[in-house]
Amino acid sequence: MPALLGAAIVLSVLTLLIMASGQSVGEGLQIILQGAIGYPRADAYGPADAWDAVLHDMTLLLLTGLAVAVALQAGLFNIGAAGQLLVGALAAAWAGTLTGVPDRLHLLLTLMVGAVAGALWAFVPVWLKVRRGAHEVISTIMFNYIALYLTHWLVTERLKDPMGDAPQTALVLEAARLPMLREDFLQASWGLGIAVVIALWLWLTLYHSVWGYELRLTGANRDAADAAGVSTARRMVEAMLLSGALAGLAGAIEVCGTQYRFFEGFPSEYGFDGIAVALLAGNHPALALFSAWLMSALRSGAYHLHAETGAPKEIAVVVQAVLILYVAAVYLRKRRLEG
Amino acid sequence: MGEIFDGQLFGAAIRQATPLILAALGGLMSERVGVINIGLEGKILMGAFAAALGALLTGSPLVGLGCAILVGITLALLHAVATQAWRTDHIVSGVAINLLALGLSTYLFRQLIVPREEAGQTSVVPMFAPIPLGGMESLPLLGALLKDQSWLTVLALLLPFVLLALLTYTRWGLRVNAVGNDSVKARTMGVPVMRMRYLGVMWSGVFASMAGAFLVLAATGQFRENMSAGRGFIALAALIFGRWHPLGAAGAALGFGFFEALQMRLQGQPLFGMQLPTDLLLMLPYLLTVVALMGLLGKMKPPSDLGN
Repeated sequence: MPALLGAAIVLSVLTLLIMASGQSVGEGLQIILQGAIGYPRADAYGPADAWDAVLHDMTLLLLTGLAVAVALQAGLFNIGAAGQLLVGALAAAWAGTLTGVPDRLHLLLTLMVGAVAGALWAFVPVWLKVRRGAHEVISTIMFNYIALYLTHWLVTERLKDPMGDAPQTALVLEAARLPMLREDFLQASWGLGIAVVIALWLWLTLYHSVWGYELRLTGANRDAADAAGVSTARRMVEAMLLSGALAGLAGAIEVCGTQYRFFEGFPSEYGFDGIAVALLAGNHPALALFSAWLMSALRSGAYHLHAETGAPKEIAVVVQAVLILYVAAVYLRKRRLEG
Repeated sequence: MGEIFDGQLFGAAIRQATPLILAALGGLMSERVGVINIGLEGKILMGAFAAALGALLTGSPLVGLGCAILVGITLALLHAVATQAWRTDHIVSGVAINLLALGLSTYLFRQLIVPREEAGQTSVVPMFAPIPLGGMESLPLLGALLKDQSWLTVLALLLPFVLLALLTYTRWGLRVNAVGNDSVKARTMGVPVMRMRYLGVMWSGVFASMAGAFLVLAATGQFRENMSAGRGFIALAALIFGRWHPLGAAGAALGFGFFEALQMRLQGQPLFGMQLPTDLLLMLPYLLTVVALMGLLGKMKPPSDLGN
């Protein structure tokens, strides 16, 4: 029942926004649907296929969504996925340009470097939480901005492509690139495969292993977990490192699969959108597959509406905000965070 | 050195600090009654938009300020209802409000203000006139410091002292402390906890939206997409760095405003013979806050009932 009500609310908000932008509702919804699940017309311009954009966004949103979900399962709110994504992306862009790495290992190495960088970026906030009791939300927000300015400084001063003036790194080598999902795709790479495998692995680990049980117990009731002999501080640190690694990997995949370099203004907002993905999925890794797809479809649909009619594409942002509030108010009542 | 650290730089620092002080004090009003407020950013942004729209449509900056405050209160009320009546997690509600403000302000800007521009009408907003200085403009240092300051800045500089006095000496202030430190005990003592929280959060909407209105009506004269540009989070950092104390928060906001002004002033010039990266200066507020969180600058003690 609440799910139906939620769908009804989202649909009414969408309708209202389309009406307010002066479009006919039926036509607007149809255009959004086209952008979300594929263009039926042969003469569609823009990306070859809506699936290109949807699957690309889904890859990043799934990983950042899983990042937020894993931390939340352990009772930690990682608002810092955006910063971890940036740091991971820049580290991967650096590793991807190294020469002397065997071709067969280069892609793996590049993705690992991105994940490790993201994990390291998440370490200080969780250390502050465990040792000093500092609220992780505050410290991860601070680390988002530190990451923003640090990567900006590095890409303009230290790691800039020496071949040009633009504030961007050199292109990563061919061996460090992910193949595209389909030949005519421009954005969606096999990074999606990696993300889906990780989601399934997380499902197994969180719900069918002792470690996962202890982690979730820590998040559900830290005092009870302590009393049961779980080393809760350890589980929290591990969850946060895993969370940072996933966000860093999202950045690395964006570099290896789509952009092939890091640049000034690298898209990091996926880190924040991961919060919506995780909440909508109730922090369940398998359900995150669905919510990541839904958010990506919504984004792509709103973008298509923008391209076709000029209606602001921020319709998607408003709907996302309403969705978060609804889910939080109905499903997440009285969830208390310590600190 | 003389050509960098002059009255003009300090004047710019105060201007940069004004929205930070207002927003940080807004955060204080809400967090001292126990409601975490990471939605300051959204309230600044919506406040800025409402100020621009109101002033554009009526030609009066005062009406613009009024619109900003109304919208700020509305957005704050949503946060209060979500966290108190619906018992939603405070962080989640804050995230949603920031997203809502970003989406709505951009959407409405494109629908209501951009078409005016395209129709050839101006999108430049009527602004508040700066405080007249009389003969003081010619004073050394002070003249450059006070030039082009807004009365909103004066308000922002006085507000922390007013708040400190209210928090220390009035019944309301004692009640705020009671609610923020132990809401259950406060309730048994007969303090209307819910009302205190609703009012605190709504005041945060007032101050944060005034910060947004300042950006439009006193600083730039126009609305731009996402023009709050992270100020809500710097204000949050100032609130924490200043340990939830009115003077501390305002002082930290002044310091952070100074870094911004210095960064704009330097633009690659050497300082004390060193080439400082501007990114480092922009990073400083956040770095300092992390250092404070580490406990290296003394013990941090947030309101103990924060987030419940």
